[in-house]
Amino acid sequence: MRYLPLPRTVLPAVTAVTVFVVIWLAWGSWQDPESYWAPGDLSRYHADIGNCMSCHAPFRGAVDARCIGCHLEARFADRSLPSVSAFHAEVIRQRQTCLSCHTEHRGILGRITSSALKNPHGEFVFVATTTKSCIACHVFEPTFGMPPRLAANETVNQLMAKGRGAHRRGGMANCQQCHAR
Amino acid sequence: MPVLSHRLAIIGFLIAVAVVGVWLVEAFLSIGKPSPFAHTKQGHLVGWIGLAITLSVLVYPVKKRTDRNRRWPREWFRVHLVAGVMGPLLILLHSGAHLHAIVPSLALAAMAVVVVSGIVGQGVHYLALRTLNDRRRQFHDQGLSAGEVDLRLHRMVAQEEAFRLWQSIHSPMTLLFLVLTALHVIGAVYFGGF
Repeated sequence: MRYLPLPRTVLPAVTAVTVFVVIWLAWGSWQDPESYWAPGDLSRYHADIGNCMSCHAPFRGAVDARCIGCHLEARFADRSLPSVSAFHAEVIRQRQTCLSCHTEHRGILGRITSSALKNPHGEFVFVATTTKSCIACHVFEPTFGMPPRLAANETVNQLMAKGRGAHRRGGMANCQQCHAR
Repeated sequence: MPVLSHRLAIIGFLIAVAVVGVWLVEAFLSIGKPSPFAHTKQGHLVGWIGLAITLSVLVYPVKKRTDRNRRWPREWFRVHLVAGVMGPLLILLHSGAHLHAIVPSLALAAMAVVVVSGIVGQGVHYLALRTLNDRRRQFHDQGLSAGEVDLRLHRMVAQEEAFRLWQSIHSPMTLLFLVLTALHVIGAVYFGGF
């Protein structure tokens, strides 16, 4: 079965449309790159950033160096709680990436911090361990959204020893299943 | 030709079920996750696999035009049909129902036009053309003159021409799809890294 040949005008018409679309996309990308390329709007925290290259490096994605370019340590200390400031200083010292915990382009009202999305222990765990941050017991993977690993340190060992067997890997996510408020 | 309308309705229904089904799978894979599946590394991997499968459909038109013996590459046509459905389904899984940026949304729309025109071309236009030729042969066998045959087949010819439009945009629209997909891939790698 042979189909009839294409009308002669079809290929030139599609080529012209393709060239027009590419020119339009180039112009639009120059005017408003976020609408043309980004997977979602920036959050309210970063909505004033207009240049993609403020955070992205070509062919490397969002890089820590550009986060730290604005989120300076001194500025952090001035504008955040001491525990938050200390937490981020420790993260930088451990050379973990910002993207381990943060993301973007989730919409203007989107949450951009992984731990803010999900903390199965609740605040109780900080009281029980007398720690102030997640990294006292967890090692975060370098990719946003990956579950953190349990660290092998004294804090974790003490917590494990206290539970008389109830505190074990995979069995202590929700503290309040056993501990009353 | 009611048989064509019936075939067209079935194809439309199956396409709608496939799109909604794949997007529901993506939504299911995203439940309880901080990022939608489409925006994860696994989602990106599905996109690369879908792209590779989709590009394999191009072997058929290349073989068809370059075969020295002028033989129709039947096996590659089968690959063209299967990969032309499976690849786009994986790309739909990769995209999810998260349409924000204009470039990937246009690439997806161009892919939809190419795939739907291919399916309609093969599933409906092919049937229309075959039915038309069968009827023409029947009328000729009955001894009708060429003018009478044309008169009787006038409506059927008009329908066949309408479906031919779908077939005629299938290959040219591939150009737009490839250009937009290349732009999307380059943009994603440029802004998102490897």
